[in-house]
Amino acid sequence: MTVEEEVKQIVSRIVHVEESTITREGTFKEMKADSLDIVQALVAVEEKYDIEIPDEEAQKFTNFGDFVDFVVAETAKKG
Amino acid sequence: MGGDYAPQEVMKGAIAAAHQGNVDIILVGQEDAITEGLRADASAEKLVRRVHASEVIIEGESPAVAIRKKKDSSIVVGMKLVRQGEADAFISAGSSGAVAASAATYLGMVEGMERPTLGGGFSSFAPNIVMMDLGANVDCKPHQMVSFAIAGTVYARTLYGIANPTVALLSTGAEQGKGNELVKEAYPLLQQSGLNFIGNIEGNEILLSKANVILCDGFVGNVLLKFYESIGTRGRAWFMGKAPICKGLVGFLFDRFLPLKKLSYEGEEQGSGILWGVDGVVRIAHGNCKAEHVVHGINAARKAVETNIVGSLKNEIALLKEQGKI
Repeated sequence: MTVEEEVKQIVSRIVHVEESTITREGTFKEMKADSLDIVQALVAVEEKYDIEIPDEEAQKFTNFGDFVDFVVAETAKKG
Repeated sequence: MGGDYAPQEVMKGAIAAAHQGNVDIILVGQEDAITEGLRADASAEKLVRRVHASEVIIEGESPAVAIRKKKDSSIVVGMKLVRQGEADAFISAGSSGAVAASAATYLGMVEGMERPTLGGGFSSFAPNIVMMDLGANVDCKPHQMVSFAIAGTVYARTLYGIANPTVALLSTGAEQGKGNELVKEAYPLLQQSGLNFIGNIEGNEILLSKANVILCDGFVGNVLLKFYESIGTRGRAWFMGKAPICKGLVGFLFDRFLPLKKLSYEGEEQGSGILWGVDGVVRIAHGNCKAEHVVHGINAARKAVETNIVGSLKNEIALLKEQGKI
């Protein structure tokens, strides 16, 4: 499973949306995620990959694709 | 260790509970404050374990942001102790929103529960009712009301011993179709839920125990709870003002026969409540709780662990799912 698929799975479980409806262009707002959903998703991803997603970075994510790209880049750095 | 009277009152209560001998206490907070608090009771040093948490979540901070920014706060550190199995339960008088957010994030939700919910009763006048939600969710979605109803049903069964608790929606009229959008949309979902749903009840029927589980969003619930809690103190003061010459006697009679000032602290709740829906035992205490409420909260948390309330909630949800009701 790719990082993107795994992240999608995490977001789907937390935000209660079908994985198939999550697209790279889709936003958390469109998924009707509230602030707690977003925090839960960020922490779950941080813990899964043992990475840190600083708030200033998280605020730059305009859609799911940005989020995934950041996670992929951070996990690549860790090797 | 949060709360209006923290750390002194919280520590006093925790140490008193430790002295009772049936719980092991872990104090999570700033080392200096813990050391200072333990100085007052030399024997307590051996009874409690300390875990340092350097950061403090301040009341008013955004809970969702705070629990990510302040990972070394007692609310996050303590929750992780529960997740790791080092503690069986967590109790805090700190920011309620941060405790709820931290519990949902670090313990996770029970499957079928989307949001944590706070439940509690009005035990002085209506001993067999539980209201959900009392403030964990100021904005709710209709399907979340069903999950609150399930939690309330388990609450009434487990803690009040009611076999088949009745469930009602708090509204502005008894008939279906009365109320705001949330109530109107939640009504048919509750009808289909397989729970013992009896319809809407109005505010003047709460204390008549028209239903065992009364549902409202956290905004309404929190306003109602705080209003109810204020009645005791204000009522006593009002009566004493009416008879200033013998206010000592009036005060004595009230405290002896009608302890209105204790309204909010009677019964199971006594200053704290269970956070339902999260995958672990968490109790949120009133910010203004004193040592005796902390003792009660700790003992109630112990009871919740022993009676396996989280397991009961999981079983109830699994049963309703199996029956295709939710």
